[in-house]
Amino acid sequence: MSLRNSVIIVASPRPRVGKTLLARLLTDFHLHERRAVAAFDVNAGERTLAQFLPEQAMKSTIDDIKGQMALFDRLIAADGTDKIVDLGHASFESFFTLAAQIGFVEEARGRGIAAAVLFLITPDHASVEAYNGLQNRLPGAVLVPVHNEILGSAQVRHKYGLLGLGTVVVRLTQLAPGLRKYVETPPFSFSQPRLAGGAGAPDEVENELQHWLRRNYLELREIDLRILLRDLRSSIRL
Amino acid sequence: MAKPTVILVGADKGGVGKTTIARTLLDYFAADNTPARAFDTESPRGTLKRFHPEVTEVVDLTAIPDQMKVFDTLGNSAARVTVIDVRAGLLSTTLQALSDIGFLEQAKRGHISLAVFHILGPSIASLQEIAEMSRFVRNANYFLVKNFINNTTFFDWDPETYNSYFKQLTDVGEITVPKLNEMACEQVEVASVPFVSFVANKNAKGEPADNSFVLRGYVRHWLRQVWGEFDRVNLIDLVAPKAEKNDAKLKASRASK
Repeated sequence: MSLRNSVIIVASPRPRVGKTLLARLLTDFHLHERRAVAAFDVNAGERTLAQFLPEQAMKSTIDDIKGQMALFDRLIAADGTDKIVDLGHASFESFFTLAAQIGFVEEARGRGIAAAVLFLITPDHASVEAYNGLQNRLPGAVLVPVHNEILGSAQVRHKYGLLGLGTVVVRLTQLAPGLRKYVETPPFSFSQPRLAGGAGAPDEVENELQHWLRRNYLELREIDLRILLRDLRSSIRL
Repeated sequence: MAKPTVILVGADKGGVGKTTIARTLLDYFAADNTPARAFDTESPRGTLKRFHPEVTEVVDLTAIPDQMKVFDTLGNSAARVTVIDVRAGLLSTTLQALSDIGFLEQAKRGHISLAVFHILGPSIASLQEIAEMSRFVRNANYFLVKNFINNTTFFDWDPETYNSYFKQLTDVGEITVPKLNEMACEQVEVASVPFVSFVANKNAKGEPADNSFVLRGYVRHWLRQVWGEFDRVNLIDLVAPKAEKNDAKLKASRASK
């Protein structure tokens, strides 16, 4: 069966590693590509996905059964929409425990939906364990390691056993510190015509922001290809 | 010919989930392709029959005609397993009646395989009930079932008290039924279908239903845990002991050559 839509879960067991930024870029990438998208913000605190993209993202919770039903029943709905989940670190364990328990990946595949996890890799032992655990807990999901360059060297990939296996680590390229202020105040969409805001910001700033955005969109296309490749492999096996 | 199996499901009080256990048993045997039938003694209106109408009859085991309906047909029924959901508070009485008609003697002689699922209540009164059961279940497979589906708490028996009641019982199995989310439980009740039908998202007519994926997932996970307990106590072996299975396989293999 060919997978026509996807559910992409942006996750890490650690806070402040770039999950919400990645979820924002993904959502706006879909808008840029003119693909129907719905985003789900499973986060507490400030400057969350729902605040940056109030028209595309909705606050969600898995703390109670009603919240779980509202989220997961929507994620597996075959409605022609790609779904993106910004999973807060506090909900990491409970989300994936529930997903494994209720057979989320299998149900999604049965409905022609690919499930993918974008895992922000960091060098700590807990994250490495969590990444390896996901491969066992959700064997049918596409697991994509993502390195946020702002966190430092990409040498961290050796801790995940990724060297030499042909696993491509998707990069979240770093934005220059002086440019962050333009994109870090909600609400903000990367699909707006001018990233640097209204009149006053130099053209060089706008050009730099657009250049950064295009580099990241190229990386996000890698995720699309990864999911497509997994779909083709499954079709060949069948 | 394989001997028939009878499983009595009973409790000393109502509301402990014996019909729920009976339902999981029927689903378990259906999944194993073992033909099963059920008798619901909550005459005149049975609860079990609401969920498994095609295999369940409502009977009054105090009436001789219904006793005949159940026990006279054991040997010639297509069903290998007969599950009897005993009315609350009547497990001992029912076993006494079975003793009086010679049924327990048949089990002792090995003509029938008998299992008793005793669903425990939360109080120490259950221990007294267990003690009363001992004279009936010596030749039966006796299982104590702790049903946590409704978040019940069970009396913590101290080891000395526990042993004093159990010393007369040499071979007792224990089964634990875990908690099931209340909303999932409620939705299955509303749907009035077997657990496996709810998981498969089918209504009572076998047509596609509109049940929540999350609730179906909870029920699937819970049912697997319950069946895991049945596997652990080798319940299937009661119905078709390994020797019989091997004989059947050998015969089938010879017939195909």
